[in-house]
Amino acid sequence: MTLQEKLNNLKANFEKSAPKEAVDIMHRSTRDLSNSGILEGVVRTGDIAPEFELKDNNEKMIRLKDFLSKSPVVLSFYRGKW
Amino acid sequence: MGAELLTISPQQPEFNRELIKEKNLTFDLLSDPGNRVAETYGLVYAFPEDLKQIYLQFGIDLGKYNGDESWTLPMPGRFVIDRSGIIKYAEVNPDYTVRPEPEEVIGILKGLLS
Repeated sequence: MTLQEKLNNLKANFEKSAPKEAVDIMHRSTRDLSNSGILEGVVRTGDIAPEFELKDNNEKMIRLKDFLSKSPVVLSFYRGKW
Repeated sequence: MGAELLTISPQQPEFNRELIKEKNLTFDLLSDPGNRVAETYGLVYAFPEDLKQIYLQFGIDLGKYNGDESWTLPMPGRFVIDRSGIIKYAEVNPDYTVRPEPEEVIGILKGLLS
């Protein structure tokens, strides 16, 4: 099974058990976000990656450029553990 | 395979530590308070009030996880950055239930490292 197939199964199971009103609001919110034009403001291929300095899970400050000096970086933004 | 994986979310470091323990993760989870870095990548959106209420009903209080009451999140996004700092791959979807297959990023990295 592909990752997306697994995600589709999780979504289908959730939507079977969740209140319809909640599912409707979630669908509408996603649709509104898609239609908002937000994607036009996202950095794209060929752009310079914005530099940053952030705390890691051990509260140590890390900088993108320190990693790039050694190797390419895969940067993944995610929403949270919940 | 000769590249670094960094992940960024607005949640506070204590929740990143929990996630690492729960999933046995071996890469860095970075905390982005207030989504300031995600903003520079163009990813941040705010929750409408009715969606916020739904999440609260599900027991997901973003104020608690993120340490602020902005109820903003990044769209999930993946970027491959080469050593000169140029973005070689960017994949972002406003629908958080749609994600690319991991092989996509692996393929880009293989090209960069060969």
